[in-house]
Amino acid sequence: MVDVERLREIAREVISRDDVRQLIGYRQGTYGFRARPAFITSPEEVDQLIFSPACVNNLATYLTLEEKLPVPRGQEPDLRKVAVMVKGCDSRALVQQMEEKAYERERIVVLGIPCTGVVDMDKVEKRFPDVLSRGEITLEGDKFVLSFDGQREEVPKEELLADKCKRCRYPTPLVYDQLLDEAVERFADDDYSDVLELEKRSAEEKWAYWEEKFSRCIRCYSCRNVCPMCYCEDCVLDRLNPQWMRRSVDISENTAYHIARAYHLAGRCIQCGECQRVCPVEIPLMELNRKFYKDVEELYDYEPGTDAEAPPLLATFKVDDREDFIL
Amino acid sequence: MAVKKLNKDKEKEALQELTKFRLIAPAKSDEVVIFKQITDPGEAFLEYGNSTVPPKKVVFPQTETLFRFQRGNPELREKNVEEEGTTVIFGLRPCDARAMSIVDRLFSWDYEDPYYLKRRELTTLVGLACVEPPSINCFCTSLGGSPFGTEGLDMLLADMGDHYLVRALTEKGEKLQETLSAHLEDAPAEEEKKAEEMAARAEGKIARSINTEGIPEKLPTLWEHELWKKVSAACLGCGICTYLCPTCHCFDIQDEVEEMGEGRRARMWDSCMFSEYTLHASGHNPRPTRRERTRNRISHKYSYYPKRFEVIACVGCGRCINLCPVNIDILEILEQVVDAS
Ligand code: SF4
Ligand code: SF4
Ligand code: SF4
Ligand code: SF4
Ligand code: SF4
Repeated sequence: MVDVERLREIAREVISRDDVRQLIGYRQGTYGFRARPAFITSPEEVDQLIFSPACVNNLATYLTLEEKLPVPRGQEPDLRKVAVMVKGCDSRALVQQMEEKAYERERIVVLGIPCTGVVDMDKVEKRFPDVLSRGEITLEGDKFVLSFDGQREEVPKEELLADKCKRCRYPTPLVYDQLLDEAVERFADDDYSDVLELEKRSAEEKWAYWEEKFSRCIRCYSCRNVCPMCYCEDCVLDRLNPQWMRRSVDISENTAYHIARAYHLAGRCIQCGECQRVCPVEIPLMELNRKFYKDVEELYDYEPGTDAEAPPLLATFKVDDREDFIL
Repeated sequence: MAVKKLNKDKEKEALQELTKFRLIAPAKSDEVVIFKQITDPGEAFLEYGNSTVPPKKVVFPQTETLFRFQRGNPELREKNVEEEGTTVIFGLRPCDARAMSIVDRLFSWDYEDPYYLKRRELTTLVGLACVEPPSINCFCTSLGGSPFGTEGLDMLLADMGDHYLVRALTEKGEKLQETLSAHLEDAPAEEEKKAEEMAARAEGKIARSINTEGIPEKLPTLWEHELWKKVSAACLGCGICTYLCPTCHCFDIQDEVEEMGEGRRARMWDSCMFSEYTLHASGHNPRPTRRERTRNRISHKYSYYPKRFEVIACVGCGRCINLCPVNIDILEILEQVVDAS
């Protein structure tokens, strides 16, 4: 796992550069085992930085989330680079964003983290409820080691690992300027067994299943806001004139929302799992995304966020594309 | 009225009795606990910490029709809240009940909101005391609440193991106690003392706190302070912290036109953390970034609201901390406010 001293040393060099404005990494959370995004602008702040299996957030989101205010007259816009720490899955968001020309490669400095997996914080908190003081999680061999209040607990990796990591194809970042550690070998693969299960159900069963989930949705839009691929400046959901999607919360509008989002992510979702992680009412959004992901892979032999030079899926056409699903 | 007890083997019967009203209770949907109308007592799930979505949605629905209209017909069909009938919210936590009594002030302030107030009038709140503080981030005691708090409640139940101790607190509560009388027994005298001890123990277990003294006055002096940029840097501008907050009450009003020229005017929850909140028709937004939005969220709760209504609009339920995807922590923000100069 990434050595924190080395991480800080590299971060210090990067943030000291004249052409770098900000470095986005991780720091300790306010309680328990949580880690959270850190925004570093000076070498003095570098000591906050950490990396551990508790660093679950996909920081690539912040590259497109930034609010651009009009530059006051007489001032120049700050065009310096932003440095960002990314795990394997997170790096795919950068690749996909660049594929879509969201920004130029030169605009960012990428610190790649060869990744051995992150925890599912819900599983951690279920196992160790009521940990108030700041605890730490490290990976030692095939065990997560949790230290808190002078205690040390070992848990088999399998039991706390995030589901997405159990099927991770790209643990070493696919794009980086500097790798913070030795590259790691792929340790998992995706057999889509969950999607296959879902596909087996009848249309009625599927609808009954999703109806229950979607009716829970409170339309907080966190799944959209956290998504590194949801960065349209003018989102169809926010439009009021014309209004494409109503704000009323009912099964019809909720379903429309989720179908619209799933379609807008087809061939673009890079499987970081953030949408499902943040959902306060635990809607299994990855099941939808993964169905589309699998279809795209099977139908077009295309994996989003793996090749920055490739054109976006929906901007391409091949004469031998399969068309047998078109009515 | 005397303190009663409800044996747990009579719990289902008692709930059955209450289904003659609109009965709202915590229920599980997968692993998520949400308040919803139940018709079968078996659906109620009382062994819960606190609900993910607060019961505020019962009196302040996320989407509510105000009236319906039709082209060519000048008459508006107004919604009649009374048709929803007498409602019992069973098993809500003291913080969530207290939150309702705080929000009442807003809805009965310069304009008496007929929908909200009617619903409040029709609703009886049966609380469930927190024997264990339900989350690590509970801090109700910092804001005048407590795990056995009664403010806003009509009746309080305390889980004593094999039975609940039942205490009516208002006239509505007494009426409900009468309704339930066939299922209740007299509680032994020492029970109340035992409950007091439990209350003290539960209070002692609350781990987080903030001294709110001076915060409402200080906040306006920190308008341009750099802390707002720092604490909001990670914010995603999602609505979780406000939608799940039992005291947040912002709404938007929109017209929804359906086919054949029919339609409705509806109001729906809004959030100051959304980018289009207060976006002017001109394109100008007085709160253009998450810095101003976060400042607004905290200031509204801890400064504007107490200035107008003499109470902080936060009950310390901890939901905004528990569920913020990027660990933005209101207690940490308040600590920075206290320390700022
Ligand atoms: S999916 Fe892969 S790269 Fe992403 S956190 Fe899990 S192991 Fe790391
Ligand atoms: S995060 Fe969950 S509740 Fe919020 S809009 Fe998305 S699916 Fe709905
Ligand atoms: S849809 Fe979900 S999994 Fe896919 S990129 Fe967006 S946040 Fe990540
Ligand atoms: S829940 Fe967190 S990320 Fe979402 S708006 Fe609130 S503070 Fe921001
Ligand atoms: S601000 Fe947070 S802690 Fe306070 S009442 Fe709202 S959700 Fe609960």
